[in-house]
Amino acid sequence: MHMADALISPAVGGAMWAATGGLAAYSIKKVQSDMDEKKVPLMGVMGAFVFAAQMVNFTIPGTGSSGHIGGGLLLAILLGPYAGFLTMSAILTIQALFFADGGLLALGCNIFNLGFFTCFVAYPFLYKGIIRQGYTQKRILLASMIAVVLGLQMGAFGVVLETLFSGITQLPFSTFVLLMQPIHLAIGIVEGLVVTAIVSFVWKERPEIIERAALGKTIGDISIKKVLTGFVIMAMITGGVLSWFASANPDGLEWSMFKTAGVEELEASDGIHQTLADIQSGTAFLPDYGFKAPESETASEEAAGGGEEAWPTVSVGTSVSGFVGGFLTLALAALTGLIITRVKSKKGRVAA
Amino acid sequence: MSGMINSLYNLRLLDDLAKKGTSIHRVHPLIKLLTTVVYLTVVVSFGRYQISGLMPFLFYPVLIFALGEVPVLPILKRIIIVEPLIIGIGILNPIFDHQTFMFGGFTVSMGWVTFLSIMIKCALTVTVALLLVATTGMDGLAAAMRMLKIPKAFVLQLVLTYRYIAVLLEEAARTLRAYSLRAPGQRGIHRSAWGTLAGQLLLRTFDRAERVYQGMCLKGFTGEYYTGKSNRIRIIDLFFLAGWISFFVIARIYNIPMLLGSLLTGVLN
Amino acid sequence: MSHHKLEAKELHFTYPDGNKAVNGISFMVSHGEAVGIIGANGAGKSTLLMLLMGVIFPQKGEVIVGDVHVTKKTLSMIRQRLGMVFQDPDDQLFMTTVYDDVAFGPRNYKLEEKEVEERVLKALELVGILHLKDRSPYKLSGGEKRAAAIASVLSMQPDVLIMDEPTAALDPKSRRRVIQLLKSFKHTKIITSHDLDMILEICERILVIKEGEIVADGETREILSNAELLDSCGLEMPFSLQDCPLCGSQKQSLKKLNS
Ligand SMILES: Nc1ncnc2c1ncn2[C@@H]1O[C@H](COP(=O)(O)OP(=O)(O)OP(=O)(O)O)[C@@H](O)[C@H]1O
Ligand SMILES: [Mg+2]
Repeated sequence: MHMADALISPAVGGAMWAATGGLAAYSIKKVQSDMDEKKVPLMGVMGAFVFAAQMVNFTIPGTGSSGHIGGGLLLAILLGPYAGFLTMSAILTIQALFFADGGLLALGCNIFNLGFFTCFVAYPFLYKGIIRQGYTQKRILLASMIAVVLGLQMGAFGVVLETLFSGITQLPFSTFVLLMQPIHLAIGIVEGLVVTAIVSFVWKERPEIIERAALGKTIGDISIKKVLTGFVIMAMITGGVLSWFASANPDGLEWSMFKTAGVEELEASDGIHQTLADIQSGTAFLPDYGFKAPESETASEEAAGGGEEAWPTVSVGTSVSGFVGGFLTLALAALTGLIITRVKSKKGRVAA
Repeated sequence: MSGMINSLYNLRLLDDLAKKGTSIHRVHPLIKLLTTVVYLTVVVSFGRYQISGLMPFLFYPVLIFALGEVPVLPILKRIIIVEPLIIGIGILNPIFDHQTFMFGGFTVSMGWVTFLSIMIKCALTVTVALLLVATTGMDGLAAAMRMLKIPKAFVLQLVLTYRYIAVLLEEAARTLRAYSLRAPGQRGIHRSAWGTLAGQLLLRTFDRAERVYQGMCLKGFTGEYYTGKSNRIRIIDLFFLAGWISFFVIARIYNIPMLLGSLLTGVLN
Repeated sequence: MSHHKLEAKELHFTYPDGNKAVNGISFMVSHGEAVGIIGANGAGKSTLLMLLMGVIFPQKGEVIVGDVHVTKKTLSMIRQRLGMVFQDPDDQLFMTTVYDDVAFGPRNYKLEEKEVEERVLKALELVGILHLKDRSPYKLSGGEKRAAAIASVLSMQPDVLIMDEPTAALDPKSRRRVIQLLKSFKHTKIITSHDLDMILEICERILVIKEGEIVADGETREILSNAELLDSCGLEMPFSLQDCPLCGSQKQSLKKLNS
């Protein structure tokens, strides 16, 4: 579910970085003003815990399927939404840097998908809403399950939108949605059960941990306004996309209601992309990386390639010279590497 | 479980690599971070039908590999671990792209071009990000973040998370080992043990966090995080930055391999 | 140098869950003394050390360092004078490099970076791990970690060193090195341990604790050869006292086996 750099465009990556950066800055301010300095080491070590716990697979008896915790909601439950969001950010940053799990440019997207939806939407509005009357075994199950599943669905939908916005894959929207959402429903149910088990255990053994987080002043006064502001921004983005789709597709309504699925729609997809591209070049809503249809791309490449004809409108000549040149460059790069390594190891030997 | 051991190995490896002292390691962390970000942005900005234009971007990782004395294999392994996800999303492109082109007498879906393009981009971006870490290390990155005015609290928390990942991976692995020894032939953890197993680990983590906090307090921690002075940016660092950025920009604007290729084929004709 | 003395007066501490861990403990440690605190698991040793350091505060009684009472207000000053090495060095080494860990304390006291560096190098030199200064703590061996944790405390130049089980989980060589290290320090030392041979080597005085109370306070050899006392506190005579290497007599356990 981690987005990779290769799947996003700079515009989408940058926009999500900006959104996430804003949320993180606000959360840090919140954490620093509200809490004791004790929270920082707790967040650090808890981040490491979630990181390790993500590698533990839990099996669902009788189904043979297994899953692991995502961590966003669990962190929000144990640390509160702001600290939870920051901790999630740190985990994802380390995964991006040290494990190439989701890239640096895509980090904004990933933090948003896995941190924002769980900590600032699922936790305050779903989990807390259900658990408000007090902790009981049943309510823990209900609240965790609903919050995890819906949080994950939102995150998965985020992945779909970000990828489509970036225009790197050619998957049509509906196919992508149909691929992503059900998979994440299954994952969400497993995770929901695991979170329930963990929260119930902690609640039984050390209730003060959960109560402190849930009823303490830090979470008690979640400023809903701020969360809502975030929501509005999100809604605007989403709205932008949706209206974009809708206007691009003559059967916009039908499309958005998921009435059609399968082949017919798949075929329509090229049309969507094309019209989108036209609209885009007309309105310049986003810089021209996003959602490009082959044609418009060709145009920009033509400009870029110094008047050369580029790929899609292929003439045999250009594809050959592209191939030859590309291969040559590849060989040259490899050669450079080899020579440097040779020279270096020789020098090392001489010095030694 | 093997995932944990791999992660630990990976952390250790990158950490070892970052302790070397080559010319690349000596480039200021902030400069390397900025160069990497520009690189990633430029690479990712290429359209989905471009392949040849991406080729010049091999030079950056190749030079870092060679000058920074980073072994190629472990990094390659990492790419191979990441690629399947990309393949999963990209493999459908050939199905949905109805345009075709002729190549050597065959009709090929343009989708294959986009697929290949994604794969190359993925390899490049993953490699360069890992190279950044392998030549800079967590402490270098933390210093760079501080220079970018990222709040101390977040940097400290990040450093702590990084530090305790190794400790907790080992702790989790021990717990799992104890579990699997008594539950042979089980792939994951059975439902009945979920809460206790993860919960125990969690409670121990809370206690550890408490002790770590005490340890910090005993060393005079009051919520402020003081780092040492970070190294100054040298002139040569600026040259590094400026040089690479100009290269990236030029290679983005002009399709160098294409020019080279047409020159060559033109000459041959 | 009376300002280096450390005094505990009638300390009482009960954990929030009602566990009475320290129950009226009083003692005084004077400058340069090395005191061992021994007792069975759960006797209250770690809790006592926490009370001395002001990590937790007693419900009754007080701790006095020099002429200063340990309270929330005096903590910052007290902690510069008392350095504590934790039972698990992983809890005390939390930065990315050994250097940063050892520098953490001095930096918090806002010393010039130049002085910080001097102190760090000196502390690392003292414990003999200067060559590890750029290593990540998680890649050190158990003994190296312990040494690094000790260095991270020494860099604050405390007058009193307080250690919780400094030789736990160490192999014989590392243990030997830590013992030599501790013996070489001129500081006032307070050490808890189950490693009674180590206590015997380093400390001239011992406090025996049982269920949160002091049951004996006296000269090391005397207490460690009192089998009855040790047994009643869940302890055992150290090996080095169990048989007599001079007259060659067998250990008691062996005698029993042979008869
Ligand atoms: N955080 C805590 N909350 C409640 N009780 C505690 C806590 N920490 C320790 N105790 C209890 O206080 C008593 C004294 O514990 P302490 O850790 O001081 O023992 P100790 O002498 O250091 O033991 P050991 O030799 O095993 O380290 C024990 O009964 C223990 O169970
Ligand atoms: Mg103890």
